[in-house]
Amino acid sequence: MNAPAGYTETKLIDPFEVFVGPVFERREDGVRRFAFVVDERHVNMRGVLHGGMLMTFADLALGAAVWDATDNAPCVTLNMQTQFLKSARAGDLVEVAPQLTRRTRSLVFMRGDFTVAGGTIMTAASIWKLLNAG
Amino acid sequence: MSTVSVLPPDAEEISRGGFNRFVGPFYKLADPEPGGAWRYVFVAAARHMNAAGSVHGGMLMTFMDVAMSRTTRLAAGAKSLSTVSLSCDFVGPGRLGDLIEARVRVVRATRSFVFMSGEVVARGRPLMNAAGLWKIVP
Repeated sequence: MNAPAGYTETKLIDPFEVFVGPVFERREDGVRRFAFVVDERHVNMRGVLHGGMLMTFADLALGAAVWDATDNAPCVTLNMQTQFLKSARAGDLVEVAPQLTRRTRSLVFMRGDFTVAGGTIMTAASIWKLLNAG
Repeated sequence: MSTVSVLPPDAEEISRGGFNRFVGPFYKLADPEPGGAWRYVFVAAARHMNAAGSVHGGMLMTFMDVAMSRTTRLAAGAKSLSTVSLSCDFVGPGRLGDLIEARVRVVRATRSFVFMSGEVVARGRPLMNAAGLWKIVP
């Protein structure tokens, strides 16, 4: 798949992310934004983007933002909260600009608004544990 | 070293198409007694993993989304439905070959909404704890 205009393909290492990908990224103001194009694999039988794909993309994008904010510190997801606001369909470009809410010695709080054509379809907030922080 | 788990005899495949079938298969176990938990399973395969050798969090959230959607359909008789919110705590790692089970309880069902709690377990240990709110579309 060709990258959407302005984006380059993100290097993925987790087998599950490779399986559902590709995912794309672009730098703006020094931080990475992420995107994927909804295709026929990602929708349910009514043609609507599956919540599982959106949550997987959220975990991937917010996790990458945690690495960017911590010099690639090893981390795991402790919690993720998602709210589904609108549906999306095959062909839609889903984008997110992750936002760092707070960082402590052992935790990182991240959030993101996931948009299609500028309209928010999902919001996600996740809490990450930094593994080497004790 | 991992072993491939054997599916329980009452497992019924529920991933007929779309993303469910692409990432699945997912199975439903026998219907619960009144007030009991609805139970679902899948077997963790290589494509479900992360680079650290655990089942990917996105896969576990997908599993819970599938399990709560199916529970809304079965417990509330809803034909059309959508996820409003889902919160997941990641409690412990799932491993390659694990038989991974979701247990979903309906906390309350109204005409328009179903409130659920869920847990995911494997090898007798908790992997995930979840709370979900689903809307029934008339």
